[in-house]
Amino acid sequence: MADLFEGIWWSGYVWPTLITVLLILCIMIPVMLSVAYLTLAERKVIGWMQLRKGPNVVGPFGLLQPIADALKLLMKETIIPAGANPVLFLIAPMLTFVLALIAWAVIPFDEGMVLADINVGVLYLFAISSLGVYGIIIAGWASNSKYAFLGALRSAAQMVSYEVSIGFVIVTVLICVGSLNLSDIVRSQAGGGFWNWYFLPLLPMFVVFIISALAETNRAPFDLPEAEAELVSGYNVEYSAMAFALFFLGEYANMILMSGMTVVLFLGGWLPPVDAQPFTWVPGPIWFALKIAFVLFIFLWVRATFPRYRYDQLMRLGWKVFLPLSLFWVVATAGFLVAFDLLPTGTN
Amino acid sequence: MASLDRTARSFLLTELLSGMALTLKMMFSPKHTINYPYEKGPLSPRFRGEHALRRYPNGEERCIACKLCEAVCPAQAITIEAEPRADGSRRTTRYDIDMTKCIYCGYCQEACPVDAIVEGPNYEFATETREELFYNKDKLLANGERWESEIAANLELDAPYR
Amino acid sequence: MATITIKINGQEQEVEQGMTVLQACEQAGVEVPRFCYHERLSVAGNCRMCLVEVKPGPPKPAASCALPVAPNQEIFTESEMVVKARKGVMEFLLINHPLDCPICDQGGECDLQDQAMAFGRDGSRYTENKRAVKDKYMGPLINTIMTRCIHCTRCVRFVAEVAGAEEIGLLNRGENAEISSLEQAVDSELSANVIDLCPVGALTSKPYQYNARPWELKKTESVDVMDAVGSNIRVDARGNEVLRILPRLNEDVNEEWISDKTRYACDGLRRQRLDKPYIRGMDGKLKPASWQDAMAAVAKAANGLKGEQIAALTGDQACVESVYSLKKLMDLMGSPNLDCRQDGAKLDAGVRAGYIFNTTIAGIEQADALLIVGANIRWEAPIINARIRKRWLTGALQVATIGEQIKTTYDSDYLGAGPETLSAVADGSHPFAEILKSAENPMIIVGQGALTRKDGAAVLAAAKKIADISGMIKEDWNGFNVLHTAASRVGALDVGFVPGDKGADRDGILAGAATGAIKLVYLLGTDEMDLAPLKDSGAFVVYHGHHGDKGAHVADVIFPGAAYTEKNATYVNTEGRVQLARRATFPPGEAKDDWAIIRALSETLGKPLPWISFDELRMAMRGAHPHLARIDDAEPASWADFGTPGAMDAAAFTTPIENFYMTDPISRASETMAECTQTFVLDRNGKGTGTHG
Repeated sequence: MADLFEGIWWSGYVWPTLITVLLILCIMIPVMLSVAYLTLAERKVIGWMQLRKGPNVVGPFGLLQPIADALKLLMKETIIPAGANPVLFLIAPMLTFVLALIAWAVIPFDEGMVLADINVGVLYLFAISSLGVYGIIIAGWASNSKYAFLGALRSAAQMVSYEVSIGFVIVTVLICVGSLNLSDIVRSQAGGGFWNWYFLPLLPMFVVFIISALAETNRAPFDLPEAEAELVSGYNVEYSAMAFALFFLGEYANMILMSGMTVVLFLGGWLPPVDAQPFTWVPGPIWFALKIAFVLFIFLWVRATFPRYRYDQLMRLGWKVFLPLSLFWVVATAGFLVAFDLLPTGTN
Repeated sequence: MASLDRTARSFLLTELLSGMALTLKMMFSPKHTINYPYEKGPLSPRFRGEHALRRYPNGEERCIACKLCEAVCPAQAITIEAEPRADGSRRTTRYDIDMTKCIYCGYCQEACPVDAIVEGPNYEFATETREELFYNKDKLLANGERWESEIAANLELDAPYR
Repeated sequence: MATITIKINGQEQEVEQGMTVLQACEQAGVEVPRFCYHERLSVAGNCRMCLVEVKPGPPKPAASCALPVAPNQEIFTESEMVVKARKGVMEFLLINHPLDCPICDQGGECDLQDQAMAFGRDGSRYTENKRAVKDKYMGPLINTIMTRCIHCTRCVRFVAEVAGAEEIGLLNRGENAEISSLEQAVDSELSANVIDLCPVGALTSKPYQYNARPWELKKTESVDVMDAVGSNIRVDARGNEVLRILPRLNEDVNEEWISDKTRYACDGLRRQRLDKPYIRGMDGKLKPASWQDAMAAVAKAANGLKGEQIAALTGDQACVESVYSLKKLMDLMGSPNLDCRQDGAKLDAGVRAGYIFNTTIAGIEQADALLIVGANIRWEAPIINARIRKRWLTGALQVATIGEQIKTTYDSDYLGAGPETLSAVADGSHPFAEILKSAENPMIIVGQGALTRKDGAAVLAAAKKIADISGMIKEDWNGFNVLHTAASRVGALDVGFVPGDKGADRDGILAGAATGAIKLVYLLGTDEMDLAPLKDSGAFVVYHGHHGDKGAHVADVIFPGAAYTEKNATYVNTEGRVQLARRATFPPGEAKDDWAIIRALSETLGKPLPWISFDELRMAMRGAHPHLARIDDAEPASWADFGTPGAMDAAAFTTPIENFYMTDPISRASETMAECTQTFVLDRNGKGTGTHG
């Protein structure tokens, strides 16, 4: 095939672009499918924990349920409220969706299996996830509805608050690794199975990160932005059909992304839990997926177990507990590393 | 000591973890879900479902238009009009129940001196329009005919406790 | 009367000597249950529910309704003995009473139900067969379920004592005792009061049978307009439908009785109603129209007419507010042609004492001689008739009648048929004149039958002369009475709805319309006169009323108005007593309040009346006629000269009412009244049983 275009001046641009698009699709399609089945998994797991069976009518074991839901949303009419700002109203879900996807560019699925192996991967992730708040604020404002507006304000305040502690947790990991490259972070946990993963030495930070990730993704017990009892459904109350579906996809993609970050930072990425046969036979991406599934299960499990926080409790937890704790742990870790001269050289 | 205990509990997240342990345990216990349209749960003889007006075995309608159900109805869902029938007996000319107002409290069947108005075992009477839920006497009598055997059996089962 | 001291449940109480123990307990506010005892009927003492313990006395409970109080008596109404005795009596009463409360119309307002709850046992020990009694026929008004009867005999005593028609009695004795009217319809204008008296559901209302429960009804206190007595009534309505009318206690007017017409004409409120405006088209047929068009049609007809070319007549059930509004409107139009006397009675609106029932109804109980002139009181005012009978029963009243010979409910001397006898009494040559003169409180009642004649003014003068010479006018007594038959009449005369300066009266208006001098006639519910001349004349006729009756047939434009249960209104009864009717339901369809119609018409005619709300109208009316503000008060009128002495026609006085059960548009539209007419008037006359009157 390549011969076909040989000698054409622009073939140097076309091939890399086509390959990149192909790679993007290779990431996006599994992510989208995961999102679809995450919704099914959520309903199933919560159902089981509540002594129910969950969806079991559409397809075998209800496996076609997400497809049915997606079809339903596709068929519905997109309603734009008369008082809304139509341009911003439609931009907001797109923004949320796009931001949830582009973060995947730097996530390593295996040794070298990453779309953009940049050295500032962590910063990139952090930047992208911070932008996510704009989609929500724009949606809340453009809807011209008090429920949406209040939901957006809550969501924004909440995400901003927990990003701070997430930032310090990541810093703790970074000073242990000495690199901002996500693949480097995984590599630094290699050798020795799960004993070498950071979740053990940094256990409190791991817990803080998981909880903050729940808050960052507006999951129970921190799902105040869509507190049905007060705000009906929060910032997306005015959305319907595909616009709503984009928000929905974005949120769940973000959940998977945060799980991926947890796995990369604390659970050794694609590494097998025991560095020996037969575990090493299993390919890295499978381990990575299994670990993500485990973290997602924790997300669902927490949702099925705990009641919703009150807003002031949520803020108190973020600013008065997690922030001092993570700050202290940054200093403690750095002090420990300096005192015992264990600082990474940062050259690997 | 108590404060130390409390602090330890909160830092070690024991309460959260015990809660999660419970839900995890429940996840593996048998499920209560029944496959509704194909399987149905058991109903108490006192179950208060769709209303019906009953007849005596000889075909005479039981309702005597005493209006006690209308008076007792907390949702004011029942409307009755009465006048003497051709044979001089006291009968309703109109017996309406607005099923959209009804709260299924069962006071009407408690108030009825002749067991005429009853809430039968049927709960599958959803309709496509509101209008279909404005029951009139014909509809209620038809319900009575349709459900009479079940209703009579339930009344008999419940009789010792009334 | 001397008072004595007794003790009731340990509390000392001052009571009058001669009272019964039950009355004494009532005065002390102690409740004693009863069935047969009724304060307006004689004591029977047969239900035994009022048992109390009395000391000193025999060691057994005593029936308190029949036991007079004695000094130093001690009465116990809550002692163990009394409670046990009541339970026993109640158990016996319930032995034969069926447990059919759910199908009984009395349910919810039943004395037996209430008292069984309050004083009875919770179960019965009776296991034998219950007694069953065949139901009796008592006419089109009273429904009987005789198995329920507890033989209190209230109904028997009522018809014998108050109604004066011994139509109901108790047959047989013991377990076989039955109340019966011998399968006759109970022929009394007050018969249906036995339904209220019956403490159980044995006698219930036939037209209201199985219709409603007392708790469903909205109760409105009002007054009746079927006759001029102004009986106090309670209107029971459900939704926008008047279901029944019950009496309301007023010692000064109707005590607690009402006539059958008052009670049962209410079903006429649902039939034959005018519920939208009509305009007579070119083809001579009435066609429904909008209010705007109807008003505009009247304005077009009135356009360019001079005041003298316009006339107005008011009917028998018009309220004072609408009559006053219409008078003011006619004043603004410059019309002097007004008359409220559609029957043509020669009454003088200038002297109030000359057209009201000065003695007052309660005053009858002081009278000792009574001359009735040209009035069939039993039909014109059954309640007043009952009051006369009540006085007559004491033995202190002597009654004489001039006019048609009618069957009264008391003994009366029949003096003669016409003016001849009246003049004889007036000039003292008749022996009854002596009786009147020697009486302490003599009174005369002049009926409309004597006044609606051509020589009515002379009859009035003769009656006045009798009053003057017999000493009927004293410091604290006025024995001169005019008995009206129309509820609106006194009020309309009070506000002066009579011909103004050079104005035409009823006959003048009819004549004027025939000659073309009067081009527009406004009829405010005028249905009781011969309106055929108006139809034949070229005059434009506006009918404003609530029923499609005589007036509506001759009308060119019809304004649908409100009946008496559909408006807040003032009525003045024959005594001059000002009473308020209150709205129980709303007028049907597009019909409107009467005052509002007249107000709107005044606007359309370009002569707006100076009020925009009902309250403002009432204030204006009460400002002009202050006595109309004194509600429930019968203002005494000062004596003055009235009537025109002159020659009287020799023709006999006739009664103005041919059929008691149909005297106005409402009762004519009523099915129940039609049945009563069939039963009591047509069938009786056909059979010639001579009970006419």
